[in-house]
Amino acid sequence: MRPNLWPTLGRIPLYLFGLTMLVPFYWMLTAAFKPVPELTKNPPSFVPHDPTLDAFYDPTYTPEQRGEQVVAGLFQRFSDVPGGFGRFMFNSLLVATTITVLSLLLASLAAYALTKMDLPGKRPIFVVIVASMMVPWQVSLVPNYLIVRNLGWLDSYQGYIVPALAKAFVVFFLVQYMRSIPDDLVHAARVDGASEWRIWWRVVMPLMRPALAAMAIFVVLAEWNNFLWPLIIVQSDSMANLPVALSRLNASNAYNPQHFAVIMAASLLTSLPTVVVFLVFQKHFTRGIALSGIKG
Amino acid sequence: MASTTTSPPAGVQVSHPVRRAKRAPALRRMRLRRALPGYLMLLPFAALFAGFLVWPLLNSLYFAFTNYNGVKPPTLVGFDNFQRLWFEDERFRTALVNSFAYVAATVTLTTVLALALAVAFHGTSWRDRIMRTLFFLPAVTSTIAVALIWRWIFTVEDFGLANTVIGWVGVEPVQWLATPSLTIPILVVMAVWGGCGYGMVIFVAGLNAIPEEHYESARLDGANAWQQFWYITLPQLKPVTTYVVITSLISAFQVFEAVYIVFRGVSSVGGVQDSGLMLVPYLYDMGFTKFQLGYASAIAWSLFIVIFVVSMIQLRVTRALREL
Repeated sequence: MRPNLWPTLGRIPLYLFGLTMLVPFYWMLTAAFKPVPELTKNPPSFVPHDPTLDAFYDPTYTPEQRGEQVVAGLFQRFSDVPGGFGRFMFNSLLVATTITVLSLLLASLAAYALTKMDLPGKRPIFVVIVASMMVPWQVSLVPNYLIVRNLGWLDSYQGYIVPALAKAFVVFFLVQYMRSIPDDLVHAARVDGASEWRIWWRVVMPLMRPALAAMAIFVVLAEWNNFLWPLIIVQSDSMANLPVALSRLNASNAYNPQHFAVIMAASLLTSLPTVVVFLVFQKHFTRGIALSGIKG
Repeated sequence: MASTTTSPPAGVQVSHPVRRAKRAPALRRMRLRRALPGYLMLLPFAALFAGFLVWPLLNSLYFAFTNYNGVKPPTLVGFDNFQRLWFEDERFRTALVNSFAYVAATVTLTTVLALALAVAFHGTSWRDRIMRTLFFLPAVTSTIAVALIWRWIFTVEDFGLANTVIGWVGVEPVQWLATPSLTIPILVVMAVWGGCGYGMVIFVAGLNAIPEEHYESARLDGANAWQQFWYITLPQLKPVTTYVVITSLISAFQVFEAVYIVFRGVSSVGGVQDSGLMLVPYLYDMGFTKFQLGYASAIAWSLFIVIFVVSMIQLRVTRALREL
């Protein structure tokens, strides 16, 4: 057993601190379900007296009522965008899943070539990939914006996806992991006459599952929450992902507290999927962080 | 890749250099032919990596020495951008000072807290696991959503959560987001809340990797819990601590979303009197609201230099401390 530094009594402050970690989430949750008058009441209610779904969709709302303690629900806004708020959820989902699947495929192919094959010149290539991780990604922001603009990809799914596909960190992580797979397995498959592509897909990829799962979670989360790049390339309302839509919702309503129930409802819908993914795949998740943390 | 046909590349593992030098061209061709699928496998990643990372980085380096607005072709201006940035630009100085204050506070608090939490909750009991999940939740929540929650908590209205809580102890409501001296502390609270769970997970992995025998022999020697922590746990955690410090340092220097969402005003990204202006918000402001792309690139490379130098100093200090 490890020494018990925090006797049971001494742990109580830490448990309390753990509870305060939840306060912001709780405050978002309550605000999202409060009716507008209760939202701006002083002192605030800590449990909604009269929980309502109005912040998401207010069946009694008509545009004429606007301004008198009545605001449009989240799914009643963005009327110029087909699908309204659902469109942003679709955009986020599409972009995050596409980038995750493609970037993991590309990275695992590259990692296989770099670890399991005898390629002249592979060492300098790997050095460049690792060295690129030292440069903050924001350094490439301006030129990438210009490249995407010149390709005519501003405000498009290509603009979201293609520049995000080559992830040096994923290659680095997969190479580290792949080194622990015995070369003998690969040699044996080669002797049996399997092609390199087949060995990659049939022999190595199944063994890489834990590493791939960890990286998939990382990439999905990062892309779901990605903000600065979409902020720069998105121009029309309908191409926004959830973070950009949230930021616009905030920019147009932030000075009127009556709209905060809607803003909190949108925040809730944005954070819920990642929280659920985390809770379901928690084990892969912490293992991935630990692996990358200890080895990196 | 082209170098393979002329001379052996510098880094390639060569087990028998003499034999290799005499290798017949036929053998080398065979090796290349066997390697062909490998290059094909590498190609999609390498092409995108070159096109959307290496090439942009080189471009950015070039832009940093030019005057460029994205419309007219860039004109070379030598070190003018860096000269202006580092010696004349008041806003850049503000951004640097803010960044350093923010990073110092965030990294210190996050690391200490993460270590304390890891020591308290590294076990396998369900209570420990629930606590670890709790502390990690902010790390997986959208930074924009989180920033909006904080904006709602720190609203200037009397019914804001922060104003209500300080009201319980008799303090008058505070104009949280409109008070320049409170900007950095609020950002630090947000960052520590959001970041301590990530550090904790890494510390937990580090703690569980310490061999049990160390503690057993220490106990045989009569060491109490604190002595075991001080003389075994802490020294064993040094590499993990360095990792936590450096990663949180790097991410703290890159802060953008919190500033942009919580403090951006109508005319400036940096909040009231630029009190929340930091390096990436300034980069965004110069690049994408004022379209001074050359100048913005100089800011971007300055960000790299700052992070690089600070990480190097951090590594040196750790190494020096280890030798003590």
